[in-house]
Amino acid sequence: MSANSSAIVITKVTKIYKMGALEVAALRGVSFAIERGEYVAIMGPSGSGKSTLMNLIGCLDRPTSGEYVLDGTSVGSLDDNALAAIRLRKLGFVFQGFNLLARTNAIKNVALPLFYAGISQRERERRAERMLSEVGLGDRGNHKPNELSGGQQQRVAIARALVNDPAVLLADEPTGNLDSTTSAEIMELFRQLNAVGRTIIMVTHDPETARNAKRVIRLRDGLIVSDEVTEPLRA
Amino acid sequence: MIATLRQIGPLFAEAFGVLLGNRTRTILTITGLIIGVAAVISIQILGKGMSGAVTGVLGTLSDQSFIVFPNARQADFTKASIKYSDLQKTLVLFPNIVDAIPAGSVDRLVTSGHHHARFTISSDSDIRFAALPLIYGRALSRADVATSAHVCVLKNDAYQRLFPEGGDPVGTSLRVGERRYVVIGVEGRPVQGLIPVNFGGDLSIPYTTYVHEYLRERPLFFARFLVRDPSKIAETEVQVINYLKSVKQDRAEYQTFDRKSFSSSIDGIFAALTFVVTLIGAVSLVVAGIGIMNIMLVSVTERTREIGVRKAIGATSAQVLAQFFIEALLLSSIGCGIGLLIGLLVGGLVDRFALIAISGVVPVIPWFQSVAIAVGFATIVTLVFGTYPAYRAARLDPIEALRYE
Repeated sequence: MSANSSAIVITKVTKIYKMGALEVAALRGVSFAIERGEYVAIMGPSGSGKSTLMNLIGCLDRPTSGEYVLDGTSVGSLDDNALAAIRLRKLGFVFQGFNLLARTNAIKNVALPLFYAGISQRERERRAERMLSEVGLGDRGNHKPNELSGGQQQRVAIARALVNDPAVLLADEPTGNLDSTTSAEIMELFRQLNAVGRTIIMVTHDPETARNAKRVIRLRDGLIVSDEVTEPLRA
Repeated sequence: MIATLRQIGPLFAEAFGVLLGNRTRTILTITGLIIGVAAVISIQILGKGMSGAVTGVLGTLSDQSFIVFPNARQADFTKASIKYSDLQKTLVLFPNIVDAIPAGSVDRLVTSGHHHARFTISSDSDIRFAALPLIYGRALSRADVATSAHVCVLKNDAYQRLFPEGGDPVGTSLRVGERRYVVIGVEGRPVQGLIPVNFGGDLSIPYTTYVHEYLRERPLFFARFLVRDPSKIAETEVQVINYLKSVKQDRAEYQTFDRKSFSSSIDGIFAALTFVVTLIGAVSLVVAGIGIMNIMLVSVTERTREIGVRKAIGATSAQVLAQFFIEALLLSSIGCGIGLLIGLLVGGLVDRFALIAISGVVPVIPWFQSVAIAVGFATIVTLVFGTYPAYRAARLDPIEALRYE
């Protein structure tokens, strides 16, 4: 039962890429657990394995060895379709580059995961509108991405990530494309989401951004070098 | 499954949005398909129309008649002349034969008042082989044949020459060589079909009269038979040929001509034409399909990042496949739909203004076949050329796709 109460349990996970005859170990045995409601930053210089870890946590890739339990489900050996279903129901992605669909308005962008979940159009739009209001964009539902500022686009992306009520919100450099004022706004939104119980995992190389999280895991050369609870910044 | 069905509508709507967003590209992509489908459908309609026009012209020929004549390949054609008495015997021998008519002709100087010209006088019966409508008077009657009457029906050309002033010539007595014939009717202008069909001479007289007056001077090579049951015409033709050969101790060969055999050989020509058009269609199909495949592959590459996002969000490979497959389906459906409309329009217009004008026959537009061709094109292009790009999209690795710039 203890595994089921954690959002994420990662045990001795390795990831080895084969590049021809050469084997590159991106992760060399990583273990940690993240409980529900935590706000964790994963840090490390480039090449430290944080992107690989991010892909594994995001169920976009499988570990070479070790076990990964997400929200009570062991996902290490699932097939592609099962992984897609896990991503759909248990994970919400926020990317550095927002990655909204350019041709469609904010409501439809937010509703996209619900579409793949097979939810009716009326219900999709109702939930998407409510989610947009929660991120402070209730009046921008009919705007297309190019009619929104960077910060607003990232809010739409966060709404999209949360619309399926995932177990974990996974953010990859969420402020990387934003100026400092807008970054602060997004970080405040994350703090609020975490305050109401959202589990957030944020990958970043920026110490300033990482200081918003309550816990920081540092990686170097495919291993965890530190894992500490921090005193988060107050906005 | 219900979830999947629910996604079809929005997927179509979205694919439509994508195609609309890339309007120029979409139009250029489907142009090949439009031209291919339009060409095949219009030529197909034309083929049907032409074949209809020809059979329409043949429709004036009686299906109760067949003509027997010597086979042209035999060494001595003249040995195959037919005796009138043998013709009459066939009436007794073969119950399906109602009448056996010597189909001969002679040339005579014909005079009407101040006008005169040499015309061909041919034997005919009350049941004509080529039933052109009459503009004046009546056709030959049973009684004219029975009484060997000296009456004639004029072809329209002969009427124009002999009566340039026009007017109703019925009752006028014509001087034909040594004899006099009374005009009882005038035929209308013949339908100028794609193949000019002209049977009989300028003046038609009862064949009994012909036998009395002219048979002695010319051997008979052609005979026309009237049958009771047209469905047994083929058997009767064989019987007559065999009988005429046996009369000549197998030293003569005969062949027959009837409406059915003529129209089936014409149908054969059009079937060959249709085959060639189909072949051209298949080539244009491949060319158009490659164009669609090419642009779909470009589209997949351009939207690699979008595909990555969709997969990260939780779209399965099947859902991504469906999205691009539907886009290809929509692309080829629109192309084939427009091609169908243009093809129907072009084919219909040519039918209307060319074929009807030439032949007077109103061709039937093969709606079902045209729609079937368009739907078939769309299906094949989608399946053959839309599947691979959709498969490529579905197979993309989300991590790679998200990294794609």
